[in-house]
Amino acid sequence: MTTLRSSGVKANRLKFIIAGSLFLAALVLMVVSATRKTAEFFITVDELQKSHEAYRGQNLRISGAVIGESIQLDTESGLLHFTIAHIPGDNDEIRNRGGLSAVLSKAVKDPDNTRLAVTYGGPKPDMLRDEAQAILTGTLTEAGEFHAEELLLKCPTKYEEALPAQVGN
Amino acid sequence: MITAFGYFTIALAFLLTVYGLIAACWGVMQKSQPWIESARLALLMIFPLITVGLIVMLGLLIGDRFDVAYVSSVISQDMPPYLKLTALWGGQSGSLLFWNWLLAGFCALFIFRKWQDDFVFLPWVLIVMFVTLGFFLSLNVFLEIPFERLWHFPDGTRLLSVFQPFGAQSLVPSDGQGLNPLLRHPGMIWHPPALYLGFVGFIIPFSLAIASLVTGRHDRQWLAIARPWTLVTWVFLTLGLVLGMRWAYDVLGWGGYWGWDPVEVAALMPWLSATALLHTAFLQKRRGGFKRWNTALGLLTFVLVLFGTFITRSGVLSSVHSFAASDIGLPMFYYLSLVTLGSLGLIIHRWPSLHVEYEPEFKFSREVLVLFSNLVLLSILMVCFLGVIYPIISELLTDTQVTVGPAWYKRINGPLFTLNLFLLGVCPLAGWGGTKIFKLRKQLVVLGPLSLLLPLAAWLYGDVRNAYALVAVWLAGASGLVILGECTHTVFVLNRQQPGKALKALVVPFQAKRRYYGGLLVHLGIVLMSVGIIGIEGLQEETQVTLALGESVTLSQYRFEFTGLENYQSQDSRNITETVITVFRNDSPVGVLYPQRDFYPGLGMAITHPGLISNLSRDLYAILIDWRPVSQDEATFRIYINPLTNWLWIGTGVLTLGVITALWPKPAGKGGKAHRPK
Repeated sequence: MTTLRSSGVKANRLKFIIAGSLFLAALVLMVVSATRKTAEFFITVDELQKSHEAYRGQNLRISGAVIGESIQLDTESGLLHFTIAHIPGDNDEIRNRGGLSAVLSKAVKDPDNTRLAVTYGGPKPDMLRDEAQAILTGTLTEAGEFHAEELLLKCPTKYEEALPAQVGN
Repeated sequence: MITAFGYFTIALAFLLTVYGLIAACWGVMQKSQPWIESARLALLMIFPLITVGLIVMLGLLIGDRFDVAYVSSVISQDMPPYLKLTALWGGQSGSLLFWNWLLAGFCALFIFRKWQDDFVFLPWVLIVMFVTLGFFLSLNVFLEIPFERLWHFPDGTRLLSVFQPFGAQSLVPSDGQGLNPLLRHPGMIWHPPALYLGFVGFIIPFSLAIASLVTGRHDRQWLAIARPWTLVTWVFLTLGLVLGMRWAYDVLGWGGYWGWDPVEVAALMPWLSATALLHTAFLQKRRGGFKRWNTALGLLTFVLVLFGTFITRSGVLSSVHSFAASDIGLPMFYYLSLVTLGSLGLIIHRWPSLHVEYEPEFKFSREVLVLFSNLVLLSILMVCFLGVIYPIISELLTDTQVTVGPAWYKRINGPLFTLNLFLLGVCPLAGWGGTKIFKLRKQLVVLGPLSLLLPLAAWLYGDVRNAYALVAVWLAGASGLVILGECTHTVFVLNRQQPGKALKALVVPFQAKRRYYGGLLVHLGIVLMSVGIIGIEGLQEETQVTLALGESVTLSQYRFEFTGLENYQSQDSRNITETVITVFRNDSPVGVLYPQRDFYPGLGMAITHPGLISNLSRDLYAILIDWRPVSQDEATFRIYINPLTNWLWIGTGVLTLGVITALWPKPAGKGGKAHRPK
């Protein structure tokens, strides 16, 4: 083990501090640049349709109810097309309106609800179906379509413990 | 009746935690050994009690007791028996019961050890365990009760209750909802238990760190006790994470092998801090010092476990892995805050007495490298934490939720992991306390050119042009070389001493320095895993194509021909579409892929199973995306070539072997003193 004279201790410690600070500075720079380039605004369909201009070119994350009959796979381009309907972004509001599955179901059936057309280039996910909650990541195109790079789906019935539908005697 | 009995066992276990907590506290206050002993016995009793409750639950699941609400929510008649058993951890309340069982088991096993001169820790360890167990058991007893049955009143209202409400009749559904098809996979057997074991075990370093802080006994003893337990827990967590990756790789819907989903990130966080802890614990043993650092990491790791549990079980963040939004979110939040603030307060209070008595010198030495790799690990941890809470902070500050996704994590963590691979690689080159330059130069002269062969091969034969991938391949190769070089060097030296006994030379150092070579093997495992990750992240090729029967598509050197489609009904009423793709390379057949899609009509859900041909150099991986009615015989596929992916799984095996080597008991009669070959 190396023992340091007390005058050396300070210099030694300084070296650690300088090296550590350089590293941390580089880390902060990386985080800032990554956040600038890839962070996504989590908004609702309503918010997006109200101000296209504000959100064009931004990375967006958007949640909505999948309208089952709109799902189409274009075999030529390999692109998946579907439409989502607005649902509230706030968890408490969803709870007040009777839970996620009720909100999703209502959102799909209500024709006055704001909607958004989506294209997605990835593989068609298994859970993409009517009244599923889609959480999309991507950007708004010039044509006002949402180009999704990532697609996360949740079907509330699988997770929420509802009473079983078929009941015997 | 039997449900009430099951409930009774966990309720009694909960009452025992209350009693034990009081007994342990009283024992400490009165300095009374019998009270502490009584608390110890109470803790040992909890595990068998929960075991009985768990067996009852398994019986209900296997016996198709659909009148039990939990059973009918996770079981259906068509599920095979092994899946019915795994349904124990398929929903919130059942998995909490399983969690409690493992937690109680780990605690009991640990408390069973002989307490001698470290007896002073015992009451505090007990107190921490009682509080933890008490909290999680209370969730099972009051909020998420797995033994609740379905009841209905004559007027049609329904109710969940363990006991029969007055005037109500039992409601027995003819079948249950069944387990989410995504969970109907053999991965369900191994991944959750391994992961849970990898979480609950960190209560041991945590409780010991708390005990050391409270009692003021700050020597190395607590770490010495905690180390093997931490290592075992760490390897379970590693296995749990990798088994999850494998499962996600085998079933579409979980998202590749790693999706930087908040829940995945939350599970990685304790792994990172535990990895850091294992390294600086070694440094403290070797050099002294690092007391603040190690105590903080011991506390942090378990706090992160609780944080991850909170993220997964409360439903605060959207994730494929999380449970439904639940009532337990708020109590979990309070508990997490209490533990975090308590730990923080305690370590701040003791900060002055955890003074540093050793400072490493700033130079190319193992100490400094370990320290820097710790810094990198904790940076990754901070990045992960920031990523998980980013939506919450941004909403508080700006009213708009801003989230970060896989691209964000990859941009920052990719270089950090690579840097750590570099540190891990050069570490064996550095000696303790520094390295003599001429020795280093000698090694670099040999290793430098050799290490360039791998990226060169990747460039020439693999057509790899991605600079980052080349650097990563070089680092992985060089790190592997250094580790192998370190092992063979020892063998050569020993062989020179005792000529002709190469085999013995191979075994002796492993026996005598199990920890060192175990550590090297773990590092080799990490290097191999990195090779797999570099392959899939940096070198993957993919295409999506719609093919008519008999048509083919070429990707890289492979030609994929769509040769068959079959649609049939399975015995458990799945509608299965199986396609056949024959793969050729230079017109000689390589193998056959069977991408498949299972439709569950009862649930209206489909599960996609990729087709896979795998060897050491690459995986051919095909997903069936869509198909036309049989008359047209046309289907859409997404085809991937994932180079080197198998090394991710092989590396995990090597890593596990390394941990077993490090933990292997000392050979009897050797006195246990490690010797270094001269």
